[in-house]
Amino acid sequence: MTGGLAETEELLEFRRQVKDWLADTKPAPPSFKLPQTFLEVESAEQLQYLKSWQACVYDAGYLGFDVPEQYGGRGVHPEKKRIVDQELARAHAPFFVNHLALGWVAPTLLAYGTEAQKKRLLAPLLRADEIWCQGFSEPGAGSDLASLSTRAIRTKDGWEFTGHKVWTTLAHFSKWMILLARTDPDAHKYAGLSFFLFPMESSGVSVQPLLKMTGEGGFNQVVLDAAPAPADCLLGETGQGWQIAMSTLLFERGAAQGASRERATVFLEQLKRLLSLARRRQRDGRSVAHDPVFRDRIVQLWIDVSAIAFSGARSSVPELIAERPMALPLMDKLVSSEWNQRLTELACEMLGADAALWLDDPNAPDGAAWPRGFMNSFGMTIGGGTSEILRNIIGERVLGLPKSK
Amino acid sequence: MSQRHPSFEPTLLPPDEGELELPALPENLGFSEEHQLLRDNARRWLSERCPISEVRALAEGRGELQRGLHGELGQLGWLDLAGPGDEGLGPLHIALLSEEMGRSLLPAAYLPSLWALTLLDVAGSPEQRAELRPSIVSGNRIATVAASEADDCWDPAQFRSRARPAVEGFVLQGEKTHVLFAAQADVVMVPCREPTGTIGIFAVGLDAPGVSVQPELGVDATRPAARIELDDVRVARSARMVGDGLDAWRALESTACTWLAAEMVGAADAVLELTRKYATERFQFGRAIGSFQAVKHPLVDTLIAVEQARSLTLGAAALLCSGARPASVAARMAKAAASEALALAVKKGVQLHGGFGFTWDCDVQLYFKRMLQSRGLFGDAVHHRRQLAARLLGAQS
Repeated sequence: MTGGLAETEELLEFRRQVKDWLADTKPAPPSFKLPQTFLEVESAEQLQYLKSWQACVYDAGYLGFDVPEQYGGRGVHPEKKRIVDQELARAHAPFFVNHLALGWVAPTLLAYGTEAQKKRLLAPLLRADEIWCQGFSEPGAGSDLASLSTRAIRTKDGWEFTGHKVWTTLAHFSKWMILLARTDPDAHKYAGLSFFLFPMESSGVSVQPLLKMTGEGGFNQVVLDAAPAPADCLLGETGQGWQIAMSTLLFERGAAQGASRERATVFLEQLKRLLSLARRRQRDGRSVAHDPVFRDRIVQLWIDVSAIAFSGARSSVPELIAERPMALPLMDKLVSSEWNQRLTELACEMLGADAALWLDDPNAPDGAAWPRGFMNSFGMTIGGGTSEILRNIIGERVLGLPKSK
Repeated sequence: MSQRHPSFEPTLLPPDEGELELPALPENLGFSEEHQLLRDNARRWLSERCPISEVRALAEGRGELQRGLHGELGQLGWLDLAGPGDEGLGPLHIALLSEEMGRSLLPAAYLPSLWALTLLDVAGSPEQRAELRPSIVSGNRIATVAASEADDCWDPAQFRSRARPAVEGFVLQGEKTHVLFAAQADVVMVPCREPTGTIGIFAVGLDAPGVSVQPELGVDATRPAARIELDDVRVARSARMVGDGLDAWRALESTACTWLAAEMVGAADAVLELTRKYATERFQFGRAIGSFQAVKHPLVDTLIAVEQARSLTLGAAALLCSGARPASVAARMAKAAASEALALAVKKGVQLHGGFGFTWDCDVQLYFKRMLQSRGLFGDAVHHRRQLAARLLGAQS
């Protein structure tokens, strides 16, 4: 019931089932602090807790509704996926640690993988038995990803990789990396790239943690020094890397249908938390919820999350997006990440100077979730395509404006 | 077609977190091939019948408002609002037509007549409907609604216009502002406070004694408005609509907000397209100015605002079609978002046309002027966000 389309009896029954199962099975919060998202998983105990949860959901049959059954999924049922995601969000269940793999590795494998690759990799991915990371960005190649220089050389037994990847979330726990590397340095920038499924347990791999502005870990740099991999780790054809990476990025940016509606549920939960904060906080002798300035800002967030949800529903009616078919999909990540940033910023503003109280202070409102969330929100407005790059892309592909160069 | 009209409850209800559960939208948003055809025909007809050059001629005093145009809308069947148990156009049809009309800045009393029909359908007596409906639908009679009073008052609970019972009916006293097309209309629907505290809605002929129409000298030549003074205007008992006035008004607010939002989305989209095109054709520093991010990014922000507003508007229209209660919230959201989207579009539209954008000759100014009026009709974004805040957080103490 979050701005999506009305459900059939069968789906309503499925939703009831999921709700009941969650009520019985949702794990108790752990004694240690959990990260807010998959981007900040630091410790082995955090990892274990989250892996167990994902495996539990998979084993119960509620994960894999976008993967065909012969590869270990539950068959392609986007409505069921949406329902599960919504109910998980409502129940404040832990997130899926293999988020990256679920969101954009799996669709990439389904689109470009061989039978052998799909059969080998998808089931353990779904169950979080094997964690995935993404080796795209490099110190010298961020927004200008195609200028990357990590080199893949064909050897007798397969491939050998040398280079330096950065912002690699979960690399410290990953078994596999989707790796974009240059196979042909003489070819044109985009044509010389290839896409690989790289085994992280190879020799010559060094994972070094990076710290976020919040002091949390979770992402890394990965140095590859003649790291070997077998021949079948190539995905698609050599020279097809850029094409595959672009489709991966589209998946990452939530171009897949229905992403908006799921996101809207998560956002509604966030908004409820913000409302709760507004009601509890006092400023100058009255509740923040009665301050006209804050009321207006809260309502603007409510309007915008409703727009995100309604846009999701509109996306599934082709005639209603026919004039600009790429507008809503390309806008999605941009609009969502900025919404999240505005919400967490508003919460910090409501807190006044108390926003500076940090995680272990007993007086930190909501365990410092808001300043932590606000700072972490930049991970989403910068990663996966900066807001600036996304505006360029939308301007060029949707509005037909000339490239900036 | 369901005839339940969603009412927007007074703001004194306790805050309801249930409001945060966004409504389930109807299958396909209720959009069908029939809607597609209507929209395509409308765009084609409007581009021939109402090119921007005609709008400009009107604004420059070289043309006149054409009463016949209204009759053409009737002939096209576009004024045929589905009444109780009738065939006809539903809220989504009207929203799609309104968007196209906003795109063209059509200078006709389209929405005001539909507002009047909405009131008639919800609260009119069978006799009133029999007398007024057919001619409004055919376009032979132009109807409008007096929706506001001085000091930007759009809430009937605050209206000062009064109706008191008299021997043969009622006597109306008061002043109304921004009555669209009042000088061209034949009948106006007027809400007044009654001695018992209720709201009565009266169908009043504009030539009735005591009714004085003073045209407002507005910036928007495509949508003239007037102040109406009611000075001891005597009306028959049969002029009063029989249904609950406040309920009827709340129903009107939901549809009026949704259709105005649609119109503003269409206008914003037109400005976006004008500016986009200019950005590809205007060359400076050896390249099209659209290649500069300082030009590209504000256009993208305008696109985002327009598309978000469009989604809200279509969703609200779909909910109105299904008679769902959450339609009233969605309608207010749509109006607020569309007002802001049109404002952004025209501001950036002027700015990004550079020096030319600042002149009379750039067409963006025509849309700018439509924005100045439209964003305030039936309450501006601030007004609706305040109502929504009361809904979400309780009345402000």
